Amino acid sequence: MRPYVGASSLKALAAAAGILGVPAAALPAVDPGVAVAPRMEFTPPRPGTYRLQKIQPAADATLLDPSGRQVRLSAVTTGKITLLTFFYTYCADPIGCPLAYRTLLDIRTGVDRVAGLEPRVRFLSVSLDPTIDTPAAIGNYREMVSQDSALEWDVLTARSVRDLLPVLEDFGQDVSVEQAADGSARRTVHHMLKMFLIDQTGMVREIYTLAFLQPTVILNDIQTLYLEEKSHAPRSLPPDHLRSKIQTQLD
Amino acid sequence: MNRNKISSRVGIGSLLVGLILAASTAWTDETCNSPYMSGLIKGQEDFIHVWTLGEKGLGDGSDKLVTVDVNPSSKTYGKVIGSVSVGGRGEAHHMGFTDDRKYLWAGGLDDSKIYVFDVGTNPGTPKLIQTITDLPAKSGFVGPHTFYALPGRVLIGNLSNAADKGGVTGLAMYNNKGAFIAKYDLPTGTVGGVKGDGYGYDIAVNPAKNVMLTSGFTGWTNYMRSLNDVVKDPEAMKHFGSTVVVWDLKSMKPTQVLSVPGAPLEIRWALAPGQNWAITGAALTSKLWLIKQNPAGTWAAKEVATIGDPSKIPLPVDISITADGKGLWVNTFMDGVTHYFDLSDPEHPRETYQKHTGRQVNMVSQSWDGKRVYITSSLLSKWDKSGADNEQVLRGYRWDGHELSNSFEVDFTKEQLGRPHHMKFTAKPAAQVAFLGRAQSAPSP
Repeated sequence: MRPYVGASSLKALAAAAGILGVPAAALPAVDPGVAVAPRMEFTPPRPGTYRLQKIQPAADATLLDPSGRQVRLSAVTTGKITLLTFFYTYCADPIGCPLAYRTLLDIRTGVDRVAGLEPRVRFLSVSLDPTIDTPAAIGNYREMVSQDSALEWDVLTARSVRDLLPVLEDFGQDVSVEQAADGSARRTVHHMLKMFLIDQTGMVREIYTLAFLQPTVILNDIQTLYLEEKSHAPRSLPPDHLRSKIQTQLD
Repeated sequence: MNRNKISSRVGIGSLLVGLILAASTAWTDETCNSPYMSGLIKGQEDFIHVWTLGEKGLGDGSDKLVTVDVNPSSKTYGKVIGSVSVGGRGEAHHMGFTDDRKYLWAGGLDDSKIYVFDVGTNPGTPKLIQTITDLPAKSGFVGPHTFYALPGRVLIGNLSNAADKGGVTGLAMYNNKGAFIAKYDLPTGTVGGVKGDGYGYDIAVNPAKNVMLTSGFTGWTNYMRSLNDVVKDPEAMKHFGSTVVVWDLKSMKPTQVLSVPGAPLEIRWALAPGQNWAITGAALTSKLWLIKQNPAGTWAAKEVATIGDPSKIPLPVDISITADGKGLWVNTFMDGVTHYFDLSDPEHPRETYQKHTGRQVNMVSQSWDGKRVYITSSLLSKWDKSGADNEQVLRGYRWDGHELSNSFEVDFTKEQLGRPHHMKFTAKPAAQVAFLGRAQSAPSP
């Protein structure tokens, strides 16, 4: 697996935020620097040698795609193995969205290398800040993240915070926002980085927080779900001549 | 410190520093919380929540979560500011936060109920929001002890089983909503050449190694029986844990059983990246054991120190490792002594300080900066001392590196509360920051 991408990608993210119309002053004054990757000092178990727990059904809601069309969240958390991440386009916390982004690129590279896996996997990014991350804004983001791979990478936002909150609550994704003197919320200042691995039936099977954000392990988990999916797939029907014979006997 | 006390610009910078530190050193407490838990309190804690055993004839006699103000700048410093009764007595014992630190799960060793308190909305006034009662039915285990946060889940280390109420037990996994997910038996067969005893107690995870350690105490038939009776019963004394189990966390499969005789209880991983060792205390033999990976990659347990005079059975109970991993507090219940060990060389811990902190002392918790140490008195309702020695207190101390100085005391008997056991810290959110759902309107630029 290739190393994490460097500062250029961070600049690309910052540039993307600029494109999206975020005032320059809104970006943190600190240089995000090189993200601190979680340590991994072990050889993980091979894909398919363990079983991922069925943690909870993925939440459902109506969200917006980059065209502003309403999309059921369940439509993009079922049918494929989905890796869901919450983000916001102006997030530059080096152990937040940029680290998640780099990790996703690493995983995507790994997925692309496993025969037959890419069509069965989807990445999904859902914005935590629907006010700034308008459909147009996430469209720019989607364009950026969709480069260089055929892997489906969907990006969604919400019509309002009110629409988004039940989703966050259900997934257990907490977000802190800057609060004005009158108690109103302003900008997002921190979120606990989590990735959610969801199987094709829409069941959350693993959750990765910072200490768990190990691309090799996540790729193995995706392959484990893929192998599980294949083992549960309906066996191919018997050849026609046998089917006729069986049918005759049944008749 | 208010853990969220940040302003937007300077705040993000300091937050990043804090989080980077958390990323590299998070597997201690303040100082015994799961490494998957967010929002460690690195400065002044505001509140201590004490999971308190109810006592018949004292107040309402029920188990309760007692909240004490421990911020020295507060007008109610050192005072009980509230308590939430659960309306029954089920042997309140240990607690643990969910990974987002918003909820505190607290268990009853006798009734096997699990109470979920909301401590995120308003830490000073916890609310009981859920009671989970299906642990025995779903898992076959009883006596929920350790509540260990995993992402989106809580892993529960149990002490006993519903069938014979002996010490053979296992782990139960719930999601954060309180729904049962899976159970994992503690090994009773031979793993890595050592036979498991199936006993359970604590859980401790090292994510960088994908390793989970579990320890073992004893079953319901012993912990719900008078300590005097247990000690006098040779058969009962055979039924204590004598192993630590090494697990592959990802697959949740045991990979080794380590022989650690004498009921190994609390387990604490060292903090510095790359250290990769853990320490545990064996209650009955009064020993500290080091658990460390050898060059071949397997794990080994080694006795490294003696706590007090084992012939007098001081009964070391709780331990608390410092944030730099170089010091360890140990409470010995029977003689009421709080010990400090220098762990600079974990192969050779040295006791450098001790103080008599009560007639009976059990739990010990320290702040992240190590400047404040708190102790409580109760071990188990049937094991606590009687008469005048049955002192039931929470005591706060300042630690200057040389001496523990008492800063406050809450007498739980005088306050009609019960027997104070496990402690957890919370802090007020900063005025400038709120969780998204609690702010009044949508974010705006």
